[in-house]
Amino acid sequence: MEHKFEKSQRWNYLVEEYQTMLYRIAFSNLKNRADAEDAVQETFLRYMKDEKPILNREHEKAWLIRTTIHICTDVLKSSWHRTTVALDEFMMAESKNVYLPYQIKDDRTLEAVLKLPVHYRNPIYLFYYEDYSIQEIAGVLNEKEGTIKTRLRRGREEVRKILTERRP
Amino acid sequence: MGIQEIKGNEGIQEYFHRRQTGQQEGFQESLIQNLESRKQEGKGIEREESTTRKSDKASGVNMLGSTAGIRVNAVSQREAVQPAEVRHMSYEESDNIEIAVTEGYTLKGKVEGEQVYVEAKYEDGRTEAYHVDTVKVQEQTQHKIEQFALETLGSLA
Repeated sequence: MEHKFEKSQRWNYLVEEYQTMLYRIAFSNLKNRADAEDAVQETFLRYMKDEKPILNREHEKAWLIRTTIHICTDVLKSSWHRTTVALDEFMMAESKNVYLPYQIKDDRTLEAVLKLPVHYRNPIYLFYYEDYSIQEIAGVLNEKEGTIKTRLRRGREEVRKILTERRP
Repeated sequence: MGIQEIKGNEGIQEYFHRRQTGQQEGFQESLIQNLESRKQEGKGIEREESTTRKSDKASGVNMLGSTAGIRVNAVSQREAVQPAEVRHMSYEESDNIEIAVTEGYTLKGKVEGEQVYVEAKYEDGRTEAYHVDTVKVQEQTQHKIEQFALETLGSLA
């Protein structure tokens, strides 16, 4: 009984603390509300099932983000997802569903970021929209700091290209 | 013949003497000219350097770093912007944020009395912080950090 209570407390804490942040990360990858919600749920389930000890809060957060990104990658690779092409307009309307805890002045840039290839999108999204440091992103994505810096720079150039192409 | 020889020698000596004098005068003249022109060139270089320094100062390039990040367009007036210790303030704690993906930086601002604490994070991993005394900031400032500080102050109004 006590064990069950502990588990439900843990579940509540996880949901309260990380749900919105993980949802935003999942959405930035999947660009679809339903898929993003599924990915977050799957992340929490894996966390609860995982028996490996979590060292601290930072480790916990990093684990959750990494797992969410892995789940999103798996979804994107799935045959169903590959045969479903999201319309640009639909995607743009859906991007409003990224509930950032602050107001962004430039929706167009966020839309451009969401269009980036995954290896640029995640570092850029985590750095600019979730305010992660390069060191933290390197830890979450299991990459070297130098690699993250390069991806941030190249990703930024790609965002510029997308925004320039879109201009009438 | 002999007289002629003597005359000739004198003439030659005189000629050499005149020539040497002339040469010296010419040399002095050209030396003075060269010195003057070098002085002018020097002044020109000095002027050029001071204009570059001024324009750098005006753009805030030297003050805030010239690598990818903030392009400041004007010098901070009356030292309104002072460097501060980085606190690693979160977005949630901030009163105002600016995400400039295409420029490679983010800005976070928090109002603290008449001052605004501004934290700038750059794509290359640097994080810098400033205290902006908004009383000293001119409304029409072109300085990016000052503009952001005023915006932050305005966002609370």
